[in-house]
Amino acid sequence: MLSTQDVKQLIEAAIPGATAEVADLTGTSDHFDIRVTAPAFAGKSRIEQHKMVQAALGQHLTTTIHAVQIKTSTE
Amino acid sequence: MWTPETVKDVVSKHRLVIFAKGTKEQPMCGFSHRAIHIMNLVGQPFEVVNIFDDPSIRPALVEFSKWPTTPQLFVDGELIGGSDIVLEMYESGELQQKIAAAKS
Repeated sequence: MLSTQDVKQLIEAAIPGATAEVADLTGTSDHFDIRVTAPAFAGKSRIEQHKMVQAALGQHLTTTIHAVQIKTSTE
Repeated sequence: MWTPETVKDVVSKHRLVIFAKGTKEQPMCGFSHRAIHIMNLVGQPFEVVNIFDDPSIRPALVEFSKWPTTPQLFVDGELIGGSDIVLEMYESGELQQKIAAAKS
């Protein structure tokens, strides 16, 4: 089971200069609201930005993490 | 048996299609429910493919779109995103513009 802190670290480690704010949506540590600000998102479409966040979560997504709600921004 | 090719055919045949957990009348996941609800608000006819109808749908979809979760909205064969992007685009009006611009 991942904590919001684990998810935050996974994202900030994978995306250069990223700042992630993670909240547990259901209290069951498997539905997360994730807000990520990263200069690395500049020039990328929303889908590409979200795919970067999903890639940071790797195999966790749809296994230990059931679902995520992502909001990205460049600054 | 669904393959990525099947998914490609479905998203090219239907202008607006959501791959979701559950049906239009009975979505079985909060995020699928939200995407379907938003498409109801948009008011254009759209298809819903229930990934629970066949276990091969989800792996074929994920391989085709390179997007691990559901729901997934496609407009004119293009992946728009999950319910968070659909909501964000609906609130900014971008979704309605994209759908209006899509081939009718």
